[in-house]
Amino acid sequence: MSAKPEIDDGYSRVASVGEVPRGRGIAVDVDGIEIAVFNVEGEFHAISNRCPHQGAPLYKAGEKKINAEDTWTESRGGVNEDDLTVSCPWHLWELDIESGEHEVSGKCIGTFDAKVVDGEVFVRI
Amino acid sequence: MGSPVSQIDADAEVPERAYEDRVIDLDFHVNPLEEDLLAYVEDDVVRDKLTTEFGPTPIPGKWDAAYAIKEGNEGLFTQGRAEYAEDVREACEKFAIDEPIVNAGVNNLPLQHHPILKNGVVQAANDYMLDHFADEDIYTSMLVPKWDPEYAVEEIERVAAEDNVVAAYSWFGPKTPWGSEQFDPVFEALVENDLPLLLHGSLAYWPQHSYIGDEMLTWTEVLGFDWPIHTMVNVVNMIMRGVFDRFPDLNVVFQEGGHWWVPFVRYRMDEFYEMHPDDVKITPRKHEAGGELLERRPSEYLRDNIYLTTQPLALPRGSGQARDLLELSMADDMFTYSSDWPHQTLDPPTWFYTSRAFDDELRESILHENAEEILRL
Ligand code: FES
Repeated sequence: MSAKPEIDDGYSRVASVGEVPRGRGIAVDVDGIEIAVFNVEGEFHAISNRCPHQGAPLYKAGEKKINAEDTWTESRGGVNEDDLTVSCPWHLWELDIESGEHEVSGKCIGTFDAKVVDGEVFVRI
Repeated sequence: MGSPVSQIDADAEVPERAYEDRVIDLDFHVNPLEEDLLAYVEDDVVRDKLTTEFGPTPIPGKWDAAYAIKEGNEGLFTQGRAEYAEDVREACEKFAIDEPIVNAGVNNLPLQHHPILKNGVVQAANDYMLDHFADEDIYTSMLVPKWDPEYAVEEIERVAAEDNVVAAYSWFGPKTPWGSEQFDPVFEALVENDLPLLLHGSLAYWPQHSYIGDEMLTWTEVLGFDWPIHTMVNVVNMIMRGVFDRFPDLNVVFQEGGHWWVPFVRYRMDEFYEMHPDDVKITPRKHEAGGELLERRPSEYLRDNIYLTTQPLALPRGSGQARDLLELSMADDMFTYSSDWPHQTLDPPTWFYTSRAFDDELRESILHENAEEILRL
């Protein structure tokens, strides 16, 4: 059994690194707040799970489409690693994953500190 | 250390309460693969042309919504591609949709040139839909060709009585609005078979190649406004030209034609008609029947015979304003829920639970009661 990782107060463990594949997200409820945690090239980012447009669950961004092999892009929205954005699975609004901003509408959702310690992902609300 | 954490792993993408209500979706598109569809074309000559020389869907160059979408035409598959009944069921589970009314919405078909080839696609699509959806217990709307009313009637007589065929699906556009008398045999066949007519926006005829339209360059101008304008023209044309006096049991659902224009059309039609009704008697149906006036006020036909699908529902922010607009738009009588799955303008039934503009009664009218009435479910 390994020792508990050293981590500041206020952070909560949400997953092991291996549980969140690159380019995908998971959703967690931290003290009643729904947070999506994305793995962007091994960096973890935490952002509100609810799209500011119509409330789609953002963590599904990148989910495989039905009959994906007969479509071109294969996934419903997804993470853009170069631009550091996530596009929503419903209408593809692009949100800045670090600031939570949607440029065109000016709407913004919450983002949270995330860090990895000893292979575990922690988020602070 | 830290706060209580639990992982969310819900397949559901809409509020849980949506699963308690019956949700009927009047506009759910399936997209058969071209080769699967063409295998159903019965006419050898047509199949040969569709699969070789012409390709399956020859269309003239035109503006397309794809120019506004990062992924181009892939926007039509934003959510995926349903080819079979199990695909539809999987998609509906996420959005609490109980009864999707599926269509093989080959919405570029009206724009194509050759009527015989187009009829071949209609026949194939209807047979594909019967085999893969109606026979699998999924309510289906059959395609009806607007360009060939005679063949439309033949097709209605061939397909309408099949189990789970609950509606006819065709298209509206600015050319030859549906008030024209040439469609009377189609209306008669629909009423005889208890089928409502669902009219969907087709790929734009207008604004291309018109003085105003050629200068319209954005998705907002074209997709946002041409279909609602076409819808208004068609609705007013059908009402004023006496379609519903001749076919009082005909129900028509305009899909993706917008809905907040209802207050404008409602009051303006009545005002103009009551001021000068004198030309109604020289419209062909009235003239033939020796009638002088419409049997009801124009807005009453709007309330009784016309239905609109809700997607995409752009509600005012304040719930008081939204409620007033819904009331003025006769939503309780005219609105029916639609998702438009899998397109880029998808509308899951979220609003009805997150906005305080909807009370239980209005929510139920829109989510299922109005649809039940016209589909006779
Ligand atoms: S709900 Fe996210 S883009 Fe519409």
